[in-house]
Amino acid sequence: MMLFSQARGLPVLTLTEAEELGVLRSLTVDATAGVVTHVRVRGRHSRKESVLAWGALHALGPDAVLVRSATAPAEVPPHHELPGLRILTETGDWLGTVQDVAFEPDTGRIEAVVTAQGDVPADRLLGLGDYALVVRAG
Amino acid sequence: MNQLMAARSLTTLPVVTLGGDAVAQIKDTVFDAAAGRITGFTLSGRGLLSGPLKQSLPWPAVHALGPHAVMIVDAGALADTPVVVARREAQQGRVLHAKVLTDEGAEVGTVLDVVVEGGTSGRVVGFRIAAVKSLVRGSRRHRHRVYVPRGDTLAVSGRALVIPADATRYVADDLPAFVARVSAFHEGHEGTPS
Repeated sequence: MMLFSQARGLPVLTLTEAEELGVLRSLTVDATAGVVTHVRVRGRHSRKESVLAWGALHALGPDAVLVRSATAPAEVPPHHELPGLRILTETGDWLGTVQDVAFEPDTGRIEAVVTAQGDVPADRLLGLGDYALVVRAG
Repeated sequence: MNQLMAARSLTTLPVVTLGGDAVAQIKDTVFDAAAGRITGFTLSGRGLLSGPLKQSLPWPAVHALGPHAVMIVDAGALADTPVVVARREAQQGRVLHAKVLTDEGAEVGTVLDVVVEGGTSGRVVGFRIAAVKSLVRGSRRHRHRVYVPRGDTLAVSGRALVIPADATRYVADDLPAFVARVSAFHEGHEGTPS
């Protein structure tokens, strides 16, 4: 189990050349499927943000992210930053804001969304948009 | 029972899809002619400079009405405005400021706001009224604002609204207290032969 806050800032290197691409900025999530689909990397010097598909990763370890290829995916879904986003239930109630996200670094599967009021398990996630993370009322 | 909300407090409430996108915000709540339930909402865009939207939200397209958002399945739920607005024009100015009378002919006050049930029902459960002095015993204040439940039958005609006389026994000063009074009112009704 790993938290988004732990993954953030990890150096991203290519597996074959050990070339440093930059640092991990954020993770893009498909809330309906409950998985991390893309990682966003910011270059060390250029400060340019690039996107890598989850499938291009070789390993997401405690100290570094290793990628097989640095080629950008053909299609990039809109990114919604989860930490700090408000949480609404499908009944229109407020559940606080996302503090962190627990996920499985091997598979990219989301385990739970951490809030001040407790964890929301991934199977309650309904949708993620620009305004809110929508969850099933528990 | 679902959460109760004052219709006026719904204005500026965001309209959010289950996908988490805010597509609009509530401008006005539209009721049916008998003020029995919400038929829909007119909308405005989100943000300071956005004006009213051409689209509106019919009640059947509402997934749930909550205290922090009106949830819809997706943006396809929004309808072109004329559907809802036709009813709104017939209705606007009718319920608000209408005189409230009991079925025994006593004047109770005037309507300040409409209290609706959240969730999926959209039912009107009562009114916030500026009560006449005789209704609120012991109060010396000139205008007293109270919540009064609606009866099963409710007549709205012209500028007046008629509620059952015993509804005035279940007035409350604030919304949380009103929730309990509404249940008590309905239980009391089941026990009494009509």
